[in-house]
Amino acid sequence: MAEFFLEALGHVTSPAVLVLILLGVLIGIIGGSIPGFTVTMAILVVFPFTFAMDPVSGVALMVGVFVGGYSGGIVSGVMLGIPGTPSSITTVYDGYPMAQNGEPGRALGIGVAASFIGTVISVGMLVFFGPLIASFSMNFRPWEITSLIVFALTLVAGLSNGALLKGLLAAALGLLITTVGYDRNSNLRFDFGFSPLSSGFEILPVMIGIFAFSQLMSNLEELRDEKGLKKKIETNVAIPYGTIIKDMAKQKLNIVRSSLIGSLVGALPGTGGTVANFISYDQAKKFSRHPERFGKGIPDGIVASESSNSAVAGGAFIPTLALGIPGDLPMAIMMGVLILHGITPGPLMFEQNPVLVGTIYASLLIGAVVMVLCQLLLVRYFAKISLIPQQVLVPVVLMLCAIGSYALNNNLFDIWVLFAFGIFGYLLWKAEVPLTPLILGVVLGNNLESQMFRALELDSSWMTFLTRPLSALFLGLAVASVVFSILQNRKINRALKARGAEV
Amino acid sequence: MTIVTKDRALALAMLLLAAILLVESGNIPGKTAWQPYGSALYPRILLGVIGVLSTIILIRSFFSRAARSTSTRRSFRAYLVHNQKVLLLFVLFACYAALLPVVGYLVATLGFLVLSLALLLGVDSRRKVIVNLATSFTLAPLIYVIFRYGLRIWLP
Repeated sequence: MAEFFLEALGHVTSPAVLVLILLGVLIGIIGGSIPGFTVTMAILVVFPFTFAMDPVSGVALMVGVFVGGYSGGIVSGVMLGIPGTPSSITTVYDGYPMAQNGEPGRALGIGVAASFIGTVISVGMLVFFGPLIASFSMNFRPWEITSLIVFALTLVAGLSNGALLKGLLAAALGLLITTVGYDRNSNLRFDFGFSPLSSGFEILPVMIGIFAFSQLMSNLEELRDEKGLKKKIETNVAIPYGTIIKDMAKQKLNIVRSSLIGSLVGALPGTGGTVANFISYDQAKKFSRHPERFGKGIPDGIVASESSNSAVAGGAFIPTLALGIPGDLPMAIMMGVLILHGITPGPLMFEQNPVLVGTIYASLLIGAVVMVLCQLLLVRYFAKISLIPQQVLVPVVLMLCAIGSYALNNNLFDIWVLFAFGIFGYLLWKAEVPLTPLILGVVLGNNLESQMFRALELDSSWMTFLTRPLSALFLGLAVASVVFSILQNRKINRALKARGAEV
Repeated sequence: MTIVTKDRALALAMLLLAAILLVESGNIPGKTAWQPYGSALYPRILLGVIGVLSTIILIRSFFSRAARSTSTRRSFRAYLVHNQKVLLLFVLFACYAALLPVVGYLVATLGFLVLSLALLLGVDSRRKVIVNLATSFTLAPLIYVIFRYGLRIWLP
């Protein structure tokens, strides 16, 4: 693997690819720093620009956006007191009070340093565990892969906002979307005599439509409720490097613990940066000698939050690359990027495309270094950019989504697909249906069908899914995740009822 | 008066969709000697799952207090009043998609950006108009140049 990593490093350190990583990190930070824009949106907007690139350049650009995006939330969290992304909510708890106490530069510096170390530790985890899991999963046959996909979908559905039924419904809808058009036997399905539907839906316009429209329109709706809440911020920030080095020296244990939590949570399907953020913050508070100082501007809180959410980046790549199963929304889109570039993520990727795997490792590491430099040198500009109003942002992003969908195949029909799924996603969002399982269903649908029927072609008995130990284990875990989610929902409902009775 | 809740509306819509697709799945070629499961089996399994889940959501909507407390009809009227801009933006996007092949990328994009920015930002001050025009007339050509000359992708 080492020689492939060095070969990949050679590709990634070429001036053209370095510029792409720099651009990706900049766009990611900007995306992460604008409240309501999110890392996922930044990835979706940049995605079409990779169509004409070679896989190494495209992946490097996207990884740059990924790394920058997870650290971008620091800016608005510290300066505005508004988390730029959901994964930086707990950054606000201590970052904003520290900035209000006259130390915004210290808060930003600690956040950036923690973010950097979190990313590096998570890359270490990815380099170590990725190939191990991939070599283990080489033993997976169609039965195991089918059951694993079912498990991933039920887990994500169960963890979606406590709405298990709607989460499962969304996952089934996502899978159903992939059945439109010609199937594996060249039979037409659900085309309704309309020829453009015969080739099915492209993943990109479907994903953009479902996610971006609902997100952008909800941003507009929330804007209506927040009139007159605009904040003025001081963007002239000086970074006290000496103080930050001293602060970080006292945070060794916290940073390692939080980074490991971030990597582990990132590797689990359906969790992501937000969950990692809260668990790490909670653990840092429990292990602290001064838990009462949390929430008042303590470095420990910022370190826990930022190192964990950035560590998600490396952790989330583990199941995506090793198993071909993305754990969260940004990873589902990253998987879409790889598929569009003709690469199928999964255990074989480590054998068939080792240079590309190395490119991801190298881009993550270089992206982390570039992120630190950008954040420290350009923080005042990011703070200003984070104030771009949604009224300007929404039309521009919609236009980019339309052009991106068109550019995929130079096909205007894809813009209508985007629009139709935009309306569909928006209506589902209004009905409080979680969209992550739906998008995951769209990404995994074709693989689920082909693996399931390959299994049945090899052995016509459905019972084989239960008689093969690993397959049975995954199906058992799928059932367990549903049962756990039901119990969890009941517990929450009981707590809510009890609180209601008290009031 | 029958109160239609959000959950009930969702369940009914999904049941309708499942029913339509189930009927349509009858047009999918059936199984053959070399395709023992046929192409309709997989979507029918999914339609079955959607049907069962929607039915449970529908039944729950009659018993859940949270579901009963939200009347879709009432909130839909309030939604229309409060979210005219969101709806208009959807209409503008549809017009944009329709006009792209007719008038070309530059004119359609400029039109979409100017109108949608005017809708969301307003045109009640000179500053807003300048922001609108500067954004539209910078971004539309810039994206064209990046795609056309940087990425060598033709735009309509």
